[in-house]
Amino acid sequence: MATAIVVTSGKGGVGKTTSTANIATALALLGKSVCIVDADIGLRNLDVVMGLENRIIYDIVDVANGDCRLEQALIRDKRFEHLSLLPAAQTKDKRALTEDKMREFVAKLKETYEFVVIDCPAGIEEGFKVAVAGADAAIVVTTPENTAVRDADRVIGLLERDKLGQPRLIVNRIRPDMVKRGEMLDIDEIVQMLGCDLLGIVPDDEAVIRNSNRGEPIAMNPEAPSGLAYRNIARRILGDSVPLMSLESKSGLWGRMRKLIGGR
Amino acid sequence: MIVNSEVLSDSKPLVTVKGTRDGLLFLLDEQADVDELCAYIETLVHGPSGTLFDGPVMDIVVDYGKRALSPSDSRRILDVFHRRENFVLKAWGGGTTTRQSLFQRKAKAGVENIYHGLIRSGEPVTFDGDVVIIGDVNPSGHVQATGDIFVFGRLLGIAHAGIEGDRSAVIAATEFAPMQLRIADVVGRAPNLRATMEYAYLEDNQLMVSEMKNFVVWNKKRRLNRDRG
Repeated sequence: MATAIVVTSGKGGVGKTTSTANIATALALLGKSVCIVDADIGLRNLDVVMGLENRIIYDIVDVANGDCRLEQALIRDKRFEHLSLLPAAQTKDKRALTEDKMREFVAKLKETYEFVVIDCPAGIEEGFKVAVAGADAAIVVTTPENTAVRDADRVIGLLERDKLGQPRLIVNRIRPDMVKRGEMLDIDEIVQMLGCDLLGIVPDDEAVIRNSNRGEPIAMNPEAPSGLAYRNIARRILGDSVPLMSLESKSGLWGRMRKLIGGR
Repeated sequence: MIVNSEVLSDSKPLVTVKGTRDGLLFLLDEQADVDELCAYIETLVHGPSGTLFDGPVMDIVVDYGKRALSPSDSRRILDVFHRRENFVLKAWGGGTTTRQSLFQRKAKAGVENIYHGLIRSGEPVTFDGDVVIIGDVNPSGHVQATGDIFVFGRLLGIAHAGIEGDRSAVIAATEFAPMQLRIADVVGRAPNLRATMEYAYLEDNQLMVSEMKNFVVWNKKRRLNRDRG
């Protein structure tokens, strides 16, 4: 049975789009057929992160207006045959996309794909309601900052009221050194406050930005710790039990030397 | 411990009007100057807002509280009411039974609520009567109750007890680190408070926080006061 997952956060800039792209890519890597839906109308960038921006002809608002069929707007990914993107519009009137239309599209996509991953806009207004409308499950992305956690709390409250089940949490952009020094909210604290299951943690990693700019999701990168984190998240979505990654895997020559000597 | 606090609204109207079974109850302020009071009633009953009282004949009860009135003042106030044709004065006095029944009913309607779960940021949750919350109140989470608030968990958000003006209400929590405390119309900020098993109460318009072990004694006193009042 197909599942539609919405990725949301409330606050902007915590990594919704990056997480959406990477979860979808990681699911595709595991052999699942996935469709990504960009519901962030007006500010589309999922296609940029996926490196597919030059292939867009039609978008979701065109489909909503009836200017094209749903299949025509879908863009096949250049790396995986079973990964597609339904891009957002940049200039068109977003009011054409209603909650009912969204529900209809997602239901239709679920017939062909095993997973539909929806990228939600920031905020909790109309765009959020539309993005959430068709989803069966929700993933809330937050960062270890008070503002992001506060917004995540608000969003979880709204999702619970919409009977979207218990949302699952991704804590993004963790900096192990800052957590160790006690300068960053620690993960247990966040999970306890938000009172929902932790789906995964993603360390802060420069490679994420580098890869996003190149249009290659970090999940494709076998070396990056953040890529591993997203692949782990995908496996957890499929029901595998994967332990949380240890944050102290700073191994370089110098780190290993220090370990040998018995330093921290 | 005293918490930095302030009274929110110091301008209570000079006359409060309540609908009761005996008719309209006018509660007059006990301290205001008689001239001011008369002027206030004049505009209330005969001014633009007076149209509210238009219609068939209605019973009214006027209660002046604990004020010591001279015969001339008494006549002056009553005269303002009498000039409205459709008012029939049913009772006039300090502690009318209508007033007493109004306040007694409130004190007795101590409903008790138990709420299981988290109170999240954003949506205020309101209870009628006392409430026990089994779970946390998150930062920016907002709990209101007409009576007491007891949090069996972490109080990190905003708690407002006695929202209808009950100044004897308390706020207590297992982990007491609220963003803001409100009892009746007094607001307190508790910037660096992070304590376990504490409760907040009002004393002379000042928010006080004390350890839970003192609560039983304090509560006994409060109950005595309530019974007497």
